[in-house]
Amino acid sequence: MSDIHVDVAVVGAGPAGVAAGIGAREAGAGRVLVIERDWDLGGILQQCIHPGFGLHTFKEELTGPEYMHRWIERAREAGVEFMTNSMVFGAHPDGSLDVMNPDRGVFRVTSGATVLAMGCRERPLGAINIPGSRPAGIYTAGTAQRFVNMEGYMPGDRAVILGSGDIGLIMARRMIWEGAKVEAVFEIMPWAGGLRRNIAQCLDDYGIPFYLNHSVVRVHGHDRLEGVTVVELDSDRRPVPGSERFVPCDTMLLAVGLIPENELSRMAGAEIHPVTGGPILNELYQTTRPSIFAAGNVVIVYDLADWVSQEGVAAGRNAALYAAGALPEPARRLAIRGGKNVRLFSPHYVTGGADATVYFRVTRPIEKRCRVFADHGLYERRERYARPGEMNEVRLAREALAALPDDVTEIVVDAEEV
Amino acid sequence: MTDKFYDIVVVGAGIVGAALARELSAYDLKIAVIDRAADIPSGASRANSAMIHAGYDDKPGTLKAALCARGNSLYRELAGPLDITLQNRGSYVCGFDDRDLKHLEILLDQGRSNGVPGLEIIGGDELRSAEPNVSPGIKYALRAPTGCIVNNFEAVLAFMDNAQQNGAELFLETELKGLALSEDGGEVAGAITSRGLFRTRCVVNAAGVDSDLVARMAGDESFSISPTRGEYYIFDKNYGRLVHSFFFPCPTEKGKGITVAPTAENNLLVGPTSEVQESRTDTSTTRRGLDDVAEGARSLVPSITPAMAITTFSGLRASADTGDFVIGPLDSPRGFVNVAGIKSPGFTSAPSIARRVVEMMKDALSDRLTFAPNVSFVPERRHIPRFESLPAEEKARLAAEDPRYAQIVCRCETVTEAQIVEAIRRGARTVAAVKIWTRAGAGRCQGGFCGPRVVAILARELGIPPEEVTRHGGHSRLLVGRTKDYWFKGAGR
Ligand SMILES: Cc1cc2nc3c(=O)[nH]c(=O)nc-3n(C[C@H](O)[C@H](O)[C@H](O)COP(=O)(O)OP(=O)(O)OC[C@H]3O[C@@H](n4cnc5c(N)ncnc54)[C@H](O)[C@@H]3O)c2cc1C
Ligand SMILES: Cc1cc2nc3c(=O)[nH]c(=O)nc-3n(C[C@H](O)[C@H](O)[C@H](O)COP(=O)(O)OP(=O)(O)OC[C@H]3O[C@@H](n4cnc5c(N)ncnc54)[C@H](O)[C@@H]3O)c2cc1C
Repeated sequence: MSDIHVDVAVVGAGPAGVAAGIGAREAGAGRVLVIERDWDLGGILQQCIHPGFGLHTFKEELTGPEYMHRWIERAREAGVEFMTNSMVFGAHPDGSLDVMNPDRGVFRVTSGATVLAMGCRERPLGAINIPGSRPAGIYTAGTAQRFVNMEGYMPGDRAVILGSGDIGLIMARRMIWEGAKVEAVFEIMPWAGGLRRNIAQCLDDYGIPFYLNHSVVRVHGHDRLEGVTVVELDSDRRPVPGSERFVPCDTMLLAVGLIPENELSRMAGAEIHPVTGGPILNELYQTTRPSIFAAGNVVIVYDLADWVSQEGVAAGRNAALYAAGALPEPARRLAIRGGKNVRLFSPHYVTGGADATVYFRVTRPIEKRCRVFADHGLYERRERYARPGEMNEVRLAREALAALPDDVTEIVVDAEEV
Repeated sequence: MTDKFYDIVVVGAGIVGAALARELSAYDLKIAVIDRAADIPSGASRANSAMIHAGYDDKPGTLKAALCARGNSLYRELAGPLDITLQNRGSYVCGFDDRDLKHLEILLDQGRSNGVPGLEIIGGDELRSAEPNVSPGIKYALRAPTGCIVNNFEAVLAFMDNAQQNGAELFLETELKGLALSEDGGEVAGAITSRGLFRTRCVVNAAGVDSDLVARMAGDESFSISPTRGEYYIFDKNYGRLVHSFFFPCPTEKGKGITVAPTAENNLLVGPTSEVQESRTDTSTTRRGLDDVAEGARSLVPSITPAMAITTFSGLRASADTGDFVIGPLDSPRGFVNVAGIKSPGFTSAPSIARRVVEMMKDALSDRLTFAPNVSFVPERRHIPRFESLPAEEKARLAAEDPRYAQIVCRCETVTEAQIVEAIRRGARTVAAVKIWTRAGAGRCQGGFCGPRVVAILARELGIPPEEVTRHGGHSRLLVGRTKDYWFKGAGR
């Protein structure tokens, strides 16, 4: 099959990829192609039929599909081309892609610049090391969400949710709406993984018990899940003696974390950060392969789709500039470092060539007034709290970066009590 | 089924039943293989270390010793024609001190008298120059260059698939309940199963961990089996290259100990434990077992941690109290043949066990069975194309021929719709069977993405509603109903 050449190629048509397409076209790129393996556009938001999207971008509460519909319309108006049901199965250091679909077979897409926007996948049971049998009835929350919201099937009658990531919280409510029973949500950490508003709207409003410092220590059942043994953990994460109890259920949904999906980034030789699991970027969303850019959950797991779309636009714009030879050469290299209470962050360095936004998540929650800051007096904002479930952002202005003395090589970002 | 007659009914479609069925299918015999599971392999042949051992472990004079090294060379011969993934990576038994060295020397002698080629003891530094990630504490190692890693799923499917091509019939979800005997009780007349009677002259007991129970049906109480659990971790492919060969500590009376091995697909496997238990079905993993596995693995390869795991599993060894394989026909009832108590190195030995058993049957049962050659016997078969590992031109060619090869279903292992449809055509009926045939769902997301798609393809190809698709047969349904119907039926209340 003949190859395709475009100015900017984008992998993935979730919020990040669709926005990247728009960003690239708006910055003047000629041919912009977004390649998506699913039949439809929209990424994970296709199955997020609950409201809660777009408060920042559109100032109204939209469902996932509504939110994406607006972006996709905008992309079509901007002249972005889409190719769906097409799997990118290889990526090369120059950004060219190996693609296949049932219409064209196997072919190569070459480009002036490429944006990776593959999103993330859910952590499976095996990765969290719970012993026991392996019956039917254990699903990641996103898989269950796909079954219920897109295929129209119920995965079970009586569920427990392990982990308090947002998808799990949303699925707890969804299961109730569909007539199932939800026994409880168990979270191993002393704080919730998801957004506070989701705990209120999805658990509290439906009287679903939520246990922090609890974990499932054993799975029971041969054919179908029959129950789980849960245990309370002390402050050293050790089981509290005598706290073991059996919870009968036929379904367990896992909301125990998301892992950026970076096989392609690895294949292309982009350096992956060991903590985020995503590519190492500068503030231009550029990976360590100069013609390859990345945005969205493939880089770091975001809390809100609005930020993902914003980042996508910027990454697409820079990719278009790169393809046109117009991206400014890096002025210098300033490493970003996470402070004491920072679990993960991106980008990992800045070049000083543009305004930069550093996103980070805290390790431990701070439930009082705190400051979110970058050192050298570059940025400071007061907040009422900082929680692991929510992203914090720090903005670094280009002028301020330029004014930093030459011997500064590192910028620390953090959140701390005031 | 009652009106059908079979020359031989093989009970159990593990590696032993499958290899035997293929061996028998070279003769003009009507063969039925029955297994109570919904997908094969389901017993020990599903959950083991997948090592084709070199053959130095067993005491000369035992059946194990006689059949293991021979089995190893048969796999090398058969891997090509049967299209089984077999990797000759070599193995090492590791010694940490001079007492261990004595042990290695005993194994070396044993191996030599068992006819194992190429054995040698090397020093720790020599080992580490080839395998930099093994423990600095290892001082000596017994190298066995013929040790191989097999894809154990593929091996069972390959033998069975080829037997079926040559006329053998496979009946899944069919459990042996008893034997029908001649009036005087001296001869086998049929196999009574959960799906009715199979009239036959000969029943072969290849029932793995339940082979003593099946023997009891024939009145044979000469051995009994203690199910012995072995637990494992499987690690992400990113760690498969931590070692090239596979590694054992010095064996103890409990067995070969916790090993570290690559799998045929370059995941990393560590385990197994060895724990005798009552239950013949419980293959749960346990906290203690998994902790022991992690600790044992670290003594060989210190950088291993459970954080790298994608899943855990366990298998049950069929440990017979005779300490050896139990192989051969009974005098009474005539026509009943044991191939029982096949524990490690049973996977390795299966092809040579099959040959041995056929020879024994020819000798002892010539009055009941005629071993005329099957003139249309074809000794080869091809596996479903392994799309992921094909070169780009080959991928392009398949995709051009059949667009379903360009439709990826499992993204972690790059499995296409065409492969899944072909697996179903060859007999896969469950989500687990599709995974066994194609590896869809065997990767790092463990079916999170492809699960719903595999369910949809199974439902479509089998012409059943998605709610009837099971994970592994029996009551393992994945879905409980359509969302809105479900609500109106008040099912969840
Ligand atoms: C259940 C759930 C609830 C959420 N709730 C909210 C909420 O209420 N409000 C909110 O603001 N945010 C919410 N979010 C977060 C938000 O949806 C995500 O941050 C956002 O979807 C990430 O966008 P993305 O484009 O990076 O990834 P995705 O949406 O995952 O898109 C990635 C796309 O890339 C495609 N792709 C991947 N690999 C390939 C390949 N090799 N070839 C071709 N295509 C490929 C995928 O098919 C997919 O379409 C929620 C997320 C989930 C999962
Ligand atoms: C943890 C572990 C690790 C091992 N590692 C290795 C190794 O690395 N190398 C090696 O060579 N060997 C190894 N072995 C041994 C090897 O796996 C076994 O010897 C071999 O798989 C036995 O095959 P089988 O066909 O006899 O039994 P199985 O595979 O158990 O098959 C028996 C079949 O019989 C069926 N069955 C039972 N009862 C009935 C009934 N009443 N009606 C119908 N069907 C019935 C079962 O459903 C099952 O499918 C290991 C074993 C274990 C458990």
